[in-house]
Amino acid sequence: MRIEDSRHRDAWHVDEDDLRAYARGELAAPALWSADAHLTACAACRGTLSEVSDAAALAAGWERLDAELDAPRPGRFERLLMRCGASDGTARLLAATPVLRRSWFGALAAVLLVTFLVAVSAGAAGRPTLFLACAPLLPLVSVALAYGPALDPTYEMAVVSPMHGFRLLMIRTSAVLVVALAVGGLASLALPGFGPAALAWLLPGLALTVTGLALTPRLGPVLAPSLLVGAWSAVLLAADLARASADGPLAPFTAAGQGVSGLVAAVGAGLLFLFRDRFDVSVRGTV
Amino acid sequence: MTSTVSASGLSLHYGRTRALDDVSLRLTPGVTGLLGPNGAGKTTLLRVLATAVPADRGAFTVLGHDPGTSRGRQEVRRRLGYLPQTPGFHPDFTAFEFVDYVAILKELADRRERHREVRRVLEEVDLADVRGRRIKKLSGGMRQRVALAAALVGDPGFLVLDEPTVGLDPEQRMRFRELIAGAGEGRTVLLSTHQTEDVAMLCHRVIVMADGAVRFEGTPAELTARAAGRVWSSTEKDPGAKAGWRTGTGSFRNVGDPPPGAEPAEPTLEDGYLLVLDDADTEVAA
Repeated sequence: MRIEDSRHRDAWHVDEDDLRAYARGELAAPALWSADAHLTACAACRGTLSEVSDAAALAAGWERLDAELDAPRPGRFERLLMRCGASDGTARLLAATPVLRRSWFGALAAVLLVTFLVAVSAGAAGRPTLFLACAPLLPLVSVALAYGPALDPTYEMAVVSPMHGFRLLMIRTSAVLVVALAVGGLASLALPGFGPAALAWLLPGLALTVTGLALTPRLGPVLAPSLLVGAWSAVLLAADLARASADGPLAPFTAAGQGVSGLVAAVGAGLLFLFRDRFDVSVRGTV
Repeated sequence: MTSTVSASGLSLHYGRTRALDDVSLRLTPGVTGLLGPNGAGKTTLLRVLATAVPADRGAFTVLGHDPGTSRGRQEVRRRLGYLPQTPGFHPDFTAFEFVDYVAILKELADRRERHREVRRVLEEVDLADVRGRRIKKLSGGMRQRVALAAALVGDPGFLVLDEPTVGLDPEQRMRFRELIAGAGEGRTVLLSTHQTEDVAMLCHRVIVMADGAVRFEGTPAELTARAAGRVWSSTEKDPGAKAGWRTGTGSFRNVGDPPPGAEPAEPTLEDGYLLVLDDADTEVAA
Protein backbone atom coordinates (compact mmCIF):
# COMPACT_ATOMS: atom_id res chain seq x y z
CA MET A 1 0.00 0.00 0.00
CA ARG A 2 2.72 2.38 0.93
CA ILE A 3 4.41 1.77 -2.37
CA GLU A 4 1.25 2.52 -4.26
CA ASP A 5 0.68 5.58 -2.12
CA SER A 6 4.10 6.93 -2.86
CA ARG A 7 3.61 6.24 -6.58
CA HIS A 8 0.40 8.21 -6.44
CA ARG A 9 2.09 11.08 -4.63
CA ASP A 10 5.03 11.35 -7.00
CA ALA A 11 4.28 11.67 -10.67
CA TRP A 12 7.99 11.42 -11.53
CA HIS A 13 10.13 8.37 -10.78
CA VAL A 14 13.75 7.55 -11.46
CA ASP A 15 14.23 5.85 -14.80
CA GLU A 16 15.16 2.16 -14.48
CA ASP A 17 18.35 2.57 -16.50
CA ASP A 18 19.32 5.42 -14.23
CA LEU A 19 18.64 3.20 -11.21
CA ARG A 20 20.94 0.52 -12.66
CA ALA A 21 23.64 3.16 -13.23
CA TYR A 22 23.01 4.44 -9.70
CA ALA A 23 23.51 0.98 -8.23
CA ARG A 24 26.77 0.63 -10.16
CA GLY A 25 27.87 4.04 -8.88
CA GLU A 26 28.03 5.32 -12.43
CA LEU A 27 25.15 7.80 -12.44
CA ALA A 28 26.51 11.30 -12.94
CA ALA A 29 25.27 14.62 -11.58
CA PRO A 30 22.75 16.21 -11.90
CA ALA A 31 20.71 13.00 -12.52
CA LEU A 32 22.55 11.57 -9.51
CA TRP A 33 21.34 14.36 -7.23
CA SER A 34 17.79 13.95 -8.45
CA ALA A 35 17.99 10.21 -7.77
CA ASP A 36 19.45 10.82 -4.30
CA ALA A 37 16.70 13.22 -3.38
CA HIS A 38 13.94 11.08 -4.85
CA LEU A 39 15.10 7.77 -3.36
CA THR A 40 14.87 9.11 0.16
CA ALA A 41 11.18 9.81 -0.33
CA CYS A 42 10.04 7.08 -2.72
CA ALA A 43 9.68 3.52 -1.44
CA ALA A 44 8.66 2.33 -4.92
CA CYS A 45 11.92 3.44 -6.50
CA ARG A 46 13.89 1.99 -3.61
CA GLY A 47 12.12 -1.31 -4.32
CA THR A 48 12.95 -1.10 -8.02
CA LEU A 49 16.53 -0.26 -7.13
CA SER A 50 16.85 -3.42 -5.07
CA GLU A 51 15.40 -5.45 -7.98
CA VAL A 52 17.86 -4.09 -10.56
CA SER A 53 21.01 -4.24 -8.47
CA ASP A 54 22.99 -6.97 -6.85
CA ALA A 55 23.41 -6.90 -3.09
CA ALA A 56 27.00 -5.64 -2.96
CA ALA A 57 26.38 -2.82 -5.40
CA LEU A 58 23.22 -1.92 -3.54
CA ALA A 59 25.06 -1.78 -0.22
CA ALA A 60 27.64 0.53 -1.76
CA GLY A 61 24.82 2.66 -3.16
CA TRP A 62 23.20 3.00 0.26
CA GLU A 63 26.54 3.95 1.76
CA ARG A 64 26.95 6.68 -0.82
CA LEU A 65 23.41 7.86 -0.23
CA ASP A 66 24.04 7.89 3.50
CA ALA A 67 27.15 10.02 3.04
CA GLU A 68 25.26 12.33 0.74
CA LEU A 69 22.35 12.77 3.12
CA ASP A 70 24.89 13.78 5.71
CA ALA A 71 26.17 16.58 3.52
CA PRO A 72 24.39 19.88 3.89
CA ARG A 73 22.65 21.32 0.86
CA PRO A 74 24.91 23.85 -0.90
CA GLY A 75 24.08 27.48 -0.19
CA ARG A 76 22.15 29.71 -2.57
CA PHE A 77 25.28 31.31 -4.01
CA GLU A 78 26.87 27.92 -4.68
CA ARG A 79 23.70 26.58 -6.29
CA LEU A 80 23.61 29.63 -8.55
CA LEU A 81 27.21 29.07 -9.62
CA MET A 82 26.48 25.38 -10.29
CA ARG A 83 23.50 26.33 -12.42
CA CYS A 84 25.86 28.59 -14.37
CA GLY A 85 27.98 25.52 -15.15
CA ALA A 86 30.58 25.56 -12.35
CA SER A 87 31.48 22.20 -10.81
CA ASP A 88 30.55 21.74 -7.17
CA GLY A 89 34.22 22.04 -6.20
CA THR A 90 34.72 25.28 -8.12
CA ALA A 91 31.47 26.65 -6.70
CA ARG A 92 32.68 25.92 -3.17
CA LEU A 93 36.07 27.52 -3.88
CA LEU A 94 34.34 30.67 -5.11
CA ALA A 95 31.81 30.69 -2.29
CA ALA A 96 34.72 30.46 0.14
CA THR A 97 35.78 33.93 -0.87
CA PRO A 98 33.30 36.30 0.75
CA VAL A 99 35.40 39.23 -0.44
CA LEU A 100 34.80 37.93 -3.94
CA ARG A 101 31.13 38.62 -3.56
CA ARG A 102 31.91 41.95 -1.95
CA SER A 103 34.20 42.83 -4.84
CA TRP A 104 31.43 41.89 -7.27
CA PHE A 105 28.92 44.07 -5.50
CA GLY A 106 31.56 46.79 -5.15
CA ALA A 107 32.25 46.61 -8.87
CA LEU A 108 28.56 46.85 -9.64
CA ALA A 109 28.12 49.84 -7.34
CA ALA A 110 31.23 51.56 -8.73
CA VAL A 111 30.14 51.20 -12.34
CA LEU A 112 26.63 52.37 -11.62
CA LEU A 113 28.03 55.41 -9.83
CA VAL A 114 30.52 56.23 -12.58
CA THR A 115 27.89 55.72 -15.27
CA PHE A 116 25.62 58.08 -13.42
CA LEU A 117 28.41 60.65 -13.14
CA VAL A 118 29.15 60.30 -16.84
CA ALA A 119 25.52 60.67 -17.74
CA VAL A 120 25.26 63.94 -15.83
CA SER A 121 28.69 65.37 -16.69
CA ALA A 122 29.65 64.13 -20.15
CA GLY A 123 27.34 66.40 -22.05
CA ALA A 124 29.62 69.42 -21.99
CA ALA A 125 32.84 67.56 -22.81
CA GLY A 126 31.17 65.43 -25.44
CA ARG A 127 33.30 62.40 -24.51
CA PRO A 128 32.98 59.75 -21.76
CA THR A 129 36.44 60.64 -20.43
CA LEU A 130 35.61 60.24 -16.76
CA PHE A 131 34.05 56.84 -17.40
CA LEU A 132 37.00 55.71 -19.53
CA ALA A 133 39.47 56.87 -16.89
CA CYS A 134 37.74 55.09 -14.01
CA ALA A 135 36.45 51.90 -15.67
CA PRO A 136 39.91 50.26 -16.22
CA LEU A 137 40.49 50.40 -12.48
CA LEU A 138 37.37 48.34 -11.90
CA PRO A 139 38.79 44.90 -12.81
CA LEU A 140 42.15 45.78 -11.25
CA VAL A 141 40.66 46.68 -7.89
CA SER A 142 38.10 43.85 -8.02
CA VAL A 143 40.79 41.23 -8.61
CA ALA A 144 43.00 42.75 -5.91
CA LEU A 145 40.10 42.54 -3.47
CA ALA A 146 39.57 38.87 -4.22
CA TYR A 147 43.09 37.72 -3.44
CA GLY A 148 45.71 37.90 -0.77
CA PRO A 149 46.45 37.09 2.84
CA ALA A 150 44.81 40.23 4.18
CA LEU A 151 41.47 39.41 2.61
CA ASP A 152 41.29 35.62 2.54
CA PRO A 153 41.05 34.24 6.10
CA THR A 154 42.09 30.79 4.90
CA TYR A 155 45.02 32.05 2.82
CA GLU A 156 47.63 30.15 4.87
CA MET A 157 45.71 26.87 4.58
CA ALA A 158 45.15 27.42 0.86
CA VAL A 159 48.84 28.14 0.21
CA VAL A 160 49.99 24.80 1.66
CA SER A 161 47.30 22.79 -0.10
CA PRO A 162 48.25 20.60 -3.07
CA MET A 163 46.07 22.71 -5.37
CA HIS A 164 48.51 25.04 -7.10
CA GLY A 165 48.17 28.62 -5.87
CA PHE A 166 48.18 29.88 -9.44
CA ARG A 167 45.22 27.67 -10.33
CA LEU A 168 43.25 28.97 -7.36
CA LEU A 169 44.19 32.52 -8.29
CA MET A 170 43.05 32.01 -11.88
CA ILE A 171 39.71 30.49 -10.78
CA ARG A 172 38.99 33.49 -8.57
CA THR A 173 40.39 36.03 -11.01
CA SER A 174 38.33 34.62 -13.88
CA ALA A 175 35.19 34.79 -11.77
CA VAL A 176 35.88 38.40 -10.82
CA LEU A 177 36.89 39.42 -14.32
CA VAL A 178 33.79 37.92 -15.90
CA VAL A 179 31.58 39.94 -13.58
CA ALA A 180 33.66 43.13 -13.66
CA LEU A 181 33.96 43.12 -17.45
CA ALA A 182 30.32 42.23 -17.94
CA VAL A 183 29.19 44.99 -15.59
CA GLY A 184 31.56 47.49 -17.20
CA GLY A 185 30.41 46.38 -20.65
CA LEU A 186 26.77 46.85 -19.72
CA ALA A 187 27.58 50.29 -18.38
CA SER A 188 29.25 51.10 -21.71
CA LEU A 189 26.14 49.98 -23.56
CA ALA A 190 24.16 52.29 -21.33
CA LEU A 191 26.01 55.16 -23.02
CA PRO A 192 24.87 54.59 -26.61
CA GLY A 193 25.58 58.21 -27.56
CA PHE A 194 29.32 57.54 -27.42
CA GLY A 195 29.25 54.44 -29.64
CA PRO A 196 32.17 51.92 -29.57
CA ALA A 197 34.40 54.60 -28.00
CA ALA A 198 32.73 53.81 -24.69
CA LEU A 199 34.43 50.38 -24.78
CA ALA A 200 37.93 51.84 -24.99
CA TRP A 201 38.48 51.06 -21.30
CA LEU A 202 38.54 47.30 -21.86
CA LEU A 203 42.15 46.85 -23.02
CA PRO A 204 43.64 49.29 -20.47
CA GLY A 205 41.59 47.47 -17.83
CA LEU A 206 43.00 44.10 -18.85
CA ALA A 207 46.53 45.50 -19.05
CA LEU A 208 46.28 46.96 -15.55
CA THR A 209 44.78 43.77 -14.09
CA VAL A 210 47.32 41.41 -15.60
CA THR A 211 50.24 43.69 -14.72
CA GLY A 212 48.91 44.02 -11.18
CA LEU A 213 48.83 40.23 -10.79
CA ALA A 214 52.28 39.83 -12.32
CA LEU A 215 53.72 42.35 -9.83
CA THR A 216 51.91 40.87 -6.81
CA PRO A 217 54.45 38.17 -5.85
CA ARG A 218 57.20 40.81 -5.74
CA LEU A 219 55.34 43.83 -4.35
CA GLY A 220 52.50 42.21 -2.42
CA PRO A 221 48.75 42.22 -3.00
CA VAL A 222 48.24 45.78 -1.71
CA LEU A 223 51.24 47.70 -3.03
CA ALA A 224 51.10 46.26 -6.57
CA PRO A 225 47.54 47.42 -7.43
CA SER A 226 48.03 50.67 -5.48
CA LEU A 227 51.09 51.54 -7.55
CA LEU A 228 49.20 50.78 -10.74
CA VAL A 229 46.31 53.02 -9.72
CA GLY A 230 48.90 55.79 -9.26
CA ALA A 231 50.62 54.96 -12.55
CA TRP A 232 47.33 54.97 -14.46
CA SER A 233 46.43 58.37 -12.97
CA ALA A 234 49.86 59.71 -13.97
CA VAL A 235 49.42 58.39 -17.52
CA LEU A 236 46.04 60.07 -17.79
CA LEU A 237 47.38 63.38 -16.46
CA ALA A 238 50.31 63.26 -18.86
CA ALA A 239 47.97 62.38 -21.73
CA ASP A 240 45.75 65.29 -20.79
CA LEU A 241 48.70 67.71 -20.87
CA ALA A 242 49.87 66.32 -24.21
CA ARG A 243 46.43 66.41 -25.79
CA ALA A 244 46.38 68.47 -28.98
CA SER A 245 42.92 69.87 -28.44
CA ALA A 246 40.55 69.90 -25.49
CA ASP A 247 38.00 67.92 -27.50
CA GLY A 248 40.40 65.20 -28.65
CA PRO A 249 40.55 61.76 -26.96
CA LEU A 250 43.23 61.00 -24.38
CA ALA A 251 46.15 59.01 -25.78
CA PRO A 252 45.26 55.69 -24.05
CA PHE A 253 41.88 55.73 -25.79
CA THR A 254 43.24 56.31 -29.29
CA ALA A 255 44.04 53.43 -31.64
CA ALA A 256 47.75 53.68 -30.80
CA GLY A 257 46.99 53.76 -27.09
CA GLN A 258 44.81 50.68 -27.41
CA GLY A 259 47.66 48.91 -29.19
CA VAL A 260 50.02 49.73 -26.34
CA SER A 261 47.47 48.48 -23.81
CA GLY A 262 47.08 45.23 -25.73
CA LEU A 263 50.84 44.80 -25.84
CA VAL A 264 51.19 45.46 -22.10
CA ALA A 265 48.39 42.97 -21.40
CA ALA A 266 50.10 40.30 -23.53
CA VAL A 267 53.54 40.86 -21.95
CA GLY A 268 51.96 40.91 -18.47
CA ALA A 269 50.14 37.64 -19.17
CA GLY A 270 53.41 36.06 -20.34
CA LEU A 271 55.25 37.19 -17.20
CA LEU A 272 52.38 36.06 -15.03
CA PHE A 273 52.53 32.58 -16.52
CA LEU A 274 56.32 32.51 -16.31
CA PHE A 275 56.31 33.38 -12.61
CA ARG A 276 53.24 31.30 -11.72
CA ASP A 277 55.18 29.24 -9.15
CA ARG A 278 55.63 32.37 -7.03
CA PHE A 279 51.93 32.19 -6.19
CA ASP A 280 52.53 28.78 -4.67
CA VAL A 281 54.11 30.12 -1.47
CA SER A 282 53.10 32.87 0.95
CA VAL A 283 53.86 36.45 0.15
CA ARG A 284 56.97 37.14 2.27
CA GLY A 285 56.40 38.98 5.50
CA THR A 286 52.74 38.07 5.79
CA VAL A 287 50.95 36.16 8.54
CA MET B 1 63.87 4.70 14.11
CA THR B 2 63.88 5.95 10.50
CA SER B 3 63.26 9.68 10.25
CA THR B 4 60.26 10.83 8.23
CA VAL B 5 61.18 14.53 8.20
CA SER B 6 64.77 15.61 7.94
CA ALA B 7 66.08 19.19 7.76
CA SER B 8 69.59 20.57 7.60
CA GLY B 9 70.90 24.12 7.76
CA LEU B 10 67.54 25.91 7.44
CA SER B 11 67.97 29.68 7.65
CA LEU B 12 65.50 32.45 7.00
CA HIS B 13 65.71 36.22 7.41
CA TYR B 14 62.90 38.76 7.38
CA GLY B 15 64.79 41.90 6.48
CA ARG B 16 67.46 42.17 9.15
CA THR B 17 65.63 39.86 11.54
CA ARG B 18 67.09 36.38 11.73
CA ALA B 19 64.04 34.14 12.08
CA LEU B 20 65.79 30.81 11.55
CA ASP B 21 69.48 30.22 12.12
CA ASP B 22 70.96 27.05 10.68
CA VAL B 23 68.24 24.73 11.98
CA SER B 24 68.78 21.00 11.55
CA LEU B 25 66.45 18.33 12.90
CA ARG B 26 65.06 14.88 12.34
CA LEU B 27 61.50 13.82 13.12
CA THR B 28 60.20 10.29 13.56
CA PRO B 29 56.61 8.95 13.76
CA GLY B 30 54.84 10.07 16.93
CA VAL B 31 54.37 13.52 18.47
CA THR B 32 57.41 15.80 18.70
CA GLY B 33 57.00 18.91 20.84
CA LEU B 34 58.49 22.23 19.79
CA LEU B 35 59.04 24.48 22.79
CA GLY B 36 60.35 28.02 22.90
CA PRO B 37 59.51 31.54 24.04
CA ASN B 38 57.74 34.08 21.81
CA GLY B 39 59.95 35.07 18.90
CA ALA B 40 62.03 31.90 19.15
CA GLY B 41 61.27 31.01 15.52
CA LYS B 42 58.82 28.17 16.17
CA THR B 43 56.09 29.44 13.84
CA THR B 44 58.63 30.31 11.15
CA LEU B 45 60.08 26.80 11.33
CA LEU B 46 56.59 25.27 11.09
CA ARG B 47 55.72 27.50 8.12
CA VAL B 48 58.90 26.46 6.33
CA LEU B 49 58.31 22.76 7.01
CA ALA B 50 54.67 23.19 5.92
CA THR B 51 55.97 24.69 2.63
CA ALA B 52 54.18 28.00 3.24
CA VAL B 53 57.44 29.96 2.92
CA PRO B 54 60.74 28.85 1.43
CA ALA B 55 63.92 29.03 3.51
CA ASP B 56 66.76 31.29 2.36
CA ARG B 57 69.22 28.46 2.85
CA GLY B 58 69.17 24.80 3.78
CA ALA B 59 67.05 21.87 2.68
CA PHE B 60 64.57 19.39 4.06
CA THR B 61 62.60 16.35 3.02
CA VAL B 62 59.19 15.13 4.13
CA LEU B 63 58.41 11.44 3.75
CA GLY B 64 61.11 11.19 1.10
CA HIS B 65 59.99 14.20 -0.95
CA ASP B 66 62.03 17.35 -1.49
CA PRO B 67 59.84 20.49 -1.50
CA GLY B 68 62.61 22.42 -3.25
CA THR B 69 60.99 21.64 -6.61
CA SER B 70 57.46 22.41 -7.70
CA ARG B 71 56.62 18.71 -8.09
CA GLY B 72 58.25 17.78 -4.79
CA ARG B 73 56.40 20.59 -3.01
CA GLN B 74 53.11 19.27 -4.31
CA GLU B 75 53.96 15.74 -3.17
CA VAL B 76 54.81 17.06 0.30
CA ARG B 77 51.55 18.99 0.43
CA ARG B 78 49.58 15.87 -0.49
CA ARG B 79 50.97 14.28 2.67
CA LEU B 80 50.67 17.33 4.90
CA GLY B 81 48.11 18.43 7.47
CA TYR B 82 48.63 21.96 8.76
CA LEU B 83 46.92 23.77 11.58
CA PRO B 84 48.21 27.38 11.55
CA GLN B 85 48.64 29.43 14.72
CA THR B 86 45.53 31.47 13.97
CA PRO B 87 43.47 29.35 11.60
CA GLY B 88 41.14 31.48 9.51
CA PHE B 89 37.58 30.47 8.76
CA HIS B 90 34.80 31.55 6.51
CA PRO B 91 32.38 32.20 9.35
CA ASP B 92 29.28 31.75 7.22
CA PHE B 93 30.28 28.21 6.31
CA THR B 94 29.06 25.32 8.39
CA ALA B 95 31.68 23.04 9.93
CA PHE B 96 30.96 20.52 7.17
CA GLU B 97 31.23 23.11 4.39
CA PHE B 98 34.50 24.47 5.71
CA VAL B 99 36.15 21.06 5.97
CA ASP B 100 34.71 20.22 2.55
CA TYR B 101 36.33 23.41 1.19
CA VAL B 102 39.71 22.34 2.56
CA ALA B 103 39.14 18.85 1.11
CA ILE B 104 38.62 20.45 -2.32
CA LEU B 105 41.89 22.34 -1.89
CA LYS B 106 43.45 18.98 -1.05
CA GLU B 107 42.34 17.71 -4.45
CA LEU B 108 39.63 15.31 -3.30
CA ALA B 109 37.74 15.73 -6.54
CA ASP B 110 35.08 13.04 -6.26
CA ARG B 111 32.16 14.58 -4.42
CA ARG B 112 31.02 11.34 -2.77
CA GLU B 113 34.46 10.30 -1.61
CA ARG B 114 35.11 13.82 -0.38
CA HIS B 115 31.93 13.97 1.65
CA ARG B 116 32.70 10.58 3.16
CA GLU B 117 36.15 11.81 4.15
CA VAL B 118 34.73 15.04 5.63
CA ARG B 119 32.30 13.02 7.70
CA ARG B 120 35.12 10.74 8.86
CA VAL B 121 37.37 13.55 10.11
CA LEU B 122 34.49 15.39 11.77
CA GLU B 123 33.68 12.19 13.63
CA GLU B 124 37.36 11.80 14.52
CA VAL B 125 37.36 15.18 16.28
CA ASP B 126 33.96 14.50 17.80
CA LEU B 127 32.10 17.20 15.87
CA ALA B 128 29.70 15.05 13.85
CA ASP B 129 26.74 16.39 15.81
CA VAL B 130 27.45 20.04 15.00
CA ARG B 131 28.55 19.55 11.40
CA GLY B 132 25.63 21.64 10.13
CA ARG B 133 26.22 24.53 12.51
CA ARG B 134 27.76 27.75 11.20
CA ILE B 135 31.34 28.27 12.33
CA LYS B 136 30.57 31.70 13.76
CA LYS B 137 28.21 29.98 16.20
CA LEU B 138 30.80 27.47 17.44
CA SER B 139 32.87 27.92 20.61
CA GLY B 140 36.62 28.57 20.39
CA GLY B 141 37.40 24.98 21.29
CA MET B 142 35.03 23.66 18.65
CA ARG B 143 36.53 25.95 16.00
CA GLN B 144 39.95 24.67 16.87
CA ARG B 145 38.66 21.12 16.40
CA VAL B 146 37.18 22.12 13.03
CA ALA B 147 40.64 23.35 12.05
CA LEU B 148 42.16 20.07 13.26
CA ALA B 149 39.56 18.14 11.24
CA ALA B 150 40.56 20.18 8.17
CA ALA B 151 44.21 19.33 8.83
CA LEU B 152 43.35 15.61 9.10
CA VAL B 153 41.56 15.48 5.74
CA GLY B 154 43.24 12.98 3.44
CA ASP B 155 44.96 11.12 6.31
CA PRO B 156 48.24 13.08 6.10
CA GLY B 157 51.48 11.40 7.10
CA PHE B 158 52.95 14.64 8.48
CA LEU B 159 50.86 16.84 10.75
CA VAL B 160 52.03 20.34 11.70
CA LEU B 161 50.19 21.91 14.63
CA ASP B 162 51.05 25.47 15.64
CA GLU B 163 50.03 26.14 19.25
CA PRO B 164 46.66 24.44 18.95
CA THR B 165 45.92 24.60 22.69
CA VAL B 166 46.37 28.37 23.09
CA GLY B 167 43.23 30.08 24.32
CA LEU B 168 41.47 26.87 25.31
CA ASP B 169 40.14 26.32 28.81
CA PRO B 170 41.62 23.41 30.81
CA GLU B 171 38.85 20.99 29.86
CA GLN B 172 39.09 21.83 26.17
CA ARG B 173 42.86 21.55 26.39
CA MET B 174 42.60 18.05 27.83
CA ARG B 175 40.19 17.06 25.09
CA PHE B 176 42.48 18.48 22.45
CA ARG B 177 45.44 16.61 23.90
CA GLU B 178 43.52 13.36 23.55
CA LEU B 179 42.84 14.18 19.90
CA ILE B 180 46.49 15.00 19.24
CA ALA B 181 47.59 11.79 20.94
CA GLY B 182 45.20 9.88 18.67
CA ALA B 183 46.43 11.76 15.60
CA GLY B 184 50.03 10.90 16.51
CA GLU B 185 49.44 7.17 16.16
CA GLY B 186 51.09 6.10 12.93
CA ARG B 187 51.97 9.56 11.69
CA THR B 188 54.60 12.22 12.34
CA VAL B 189 53.26 15.18 14.32
CA LEU B 190 55.19 18.37 15.06
CA LEU B 191 53.44 20.26 17.84
CA SER B 192 54.47 23.80 18.68
CA THR B 193 53.43 24.82 22.17
CA HIS B 194 54.15 27.10 25.12
CA GLN B 195 52.86 24.46 27.51
CA THR B 196 55.44 22.11 28.96
CA GLU B 197 52.50 19.98 30.17
CA ASP B 198 51.56 19.37 26.51
CA VAL B 199 55.05 18.02 25.90
CA ALA B 200 55.14 15.97 29.10
CA MET B 201 51.80 14.33 28.30
CA LEU B 202 52.00 13.88 24.54
CA CYS B 203 55.49 13.88 23.12
CA HIS B 204 58.10 11.21 22.63
CA ARG B 205 60.63 13.83 21.46
CA VAL B 206 61.10 17.50 22.22
CA ILE B 207 62.93 20.33 20.49
CA VAL B 208 63.67 23.62 22.26
CA MET B 209 64.24 26.73 20.15
CA ALA B 210 65.52 30.17 21.10
CA ASP B 211 66.60 33.06 18.87
CA GLY B 212 65.87 31.08 15.72
CA ALA B 213 68.15 28.18 16.62
CA VAL B 214 67.66 24.69 18.04
CA ARG B 215 68.98 24.64 21.61
CA PHE B 216 67.94 21.14 22.58
CA GLU B 217 66.74 18.01 20.83
CA GLY B 218 65.99 14.79 22.68
CA THR B 219 63.41 12.97 24.74
CA PRO B 220 61.35 14.70 27.45
CA ALA B 221 63.25 12.59 30.01
CA GLU B 222 66.56 13.91 28.67
CA LEU B 223 65.29 17.48 28.91
CA THR B 224 64.20 16.85 32.48
CA ALA B 225 67.61 15.32 33.22
CA ARG B 226 69.22 18.63 32.25
CA ALA B 227 67.89 19.94 35.55
CA ALA B 228 69.11 17.05 37.70
CA GLY B 229 70.92 18.47 40.73
CA ARG B 230 70.09 22.04 39.69
CA VAL B 231 66.73 22.47 41.41
CA TRP B 232 66.34 23.26 45.09
CA SER B 233 63.80 24.58 47.56
CA SER B 234 64.22 27.48 49.95
CA THR B 235 62.08 29.58 52.24
CA GLU B 236 63.17 32.79 50.46
CA LYS B 237 63.94 33.36 46.81
CA ASP B 238 67.59 32.53 46.28
CA PRO B 239 69.33 35.55 44.69
CA GLY B 240 71.85 33.22 43.07
CA ALA B 241 69.20 31.23 41.21
CA LYS B 242 68.70 31.66 37.49
CA ALA B 243 64.94 31.49 38.08
CA GLY B 244 62.84 31.15 41.20
CA TRP B 245 59.14 31.14 41.97
CA ARG B 246 56.86 30.57 44.94
CA THR B 247 55.10 27.23 44.88
CA GLY B 248 51.70 26.29 46.25
CA THR B 249 53.28 25.19 49.53
CA GLY B 250 54.69 28.66 50.11
CA SER B 251 58.33 27.69 49.62
CA PHE B 252 60.45 28.89 46.73
CA ARG B 253 61.55 26.62 43.92
CA ASN B 254 64.90 27.66 42.45
CA VAL B 255 66.75 26.48 39.36
CA GLY B 256 70.38 27.17 38.58
CA ASP B 257 73.56 26.28 40.39
CA PRO B 258 72.54 25.43 43.97
CA PRO B 259 74.46 26.90 46.91
CA PRO B 260 76.14 24.50 49.35
CA GLY B 261 73.65 22.82 51.65
CA ALA B 262 70.64 23.56 49.46
CA GLU B 263 67.68 21.24 49.79
CA PRO B 264 67.48 19.44 46.40
CA ALA B 265 64.13 19.02 44.65
CA GLU B 266 62.92 16.57 42.00
CA PRO B 267 63.50 18.15 38.55
CA THR B 268 60.67 18.55 36.05
CA LEU B 269 60.51 19.11 32.32
CA GLU B 270 59.82 22.79 32.97
CA ASP B 271 63.02 23.10 35.01
CA GLY B 272 65.03 21.56 32.20
CA TYR B 273 63.38 23.89 29.67
CA LEU B 274 64.17 26.99 31.76
CA LEU B 275 67.79 25.97 32.10
CA VAL B 276 68.14 25.35 28.36
CA LEU B 277 66.72 28.82 27.68
CA ASP B 278 69.03 30.34 30.27
CA ASP B 279 72.03 28.63 28.69
CA ALA B 280 70.88 30.01 25.32
CA ASP B 281 70.67 33.55 26.77
CA THR B 282 74.15 33.22 28.23
CA GLU B 283 75.47 32.02 24.87
CA VAL B 284 73.87 34.95 23.02
CA ALA B 285 75.19 37.46 25.60
CA ALA B 286 78.68 36.00 25.24
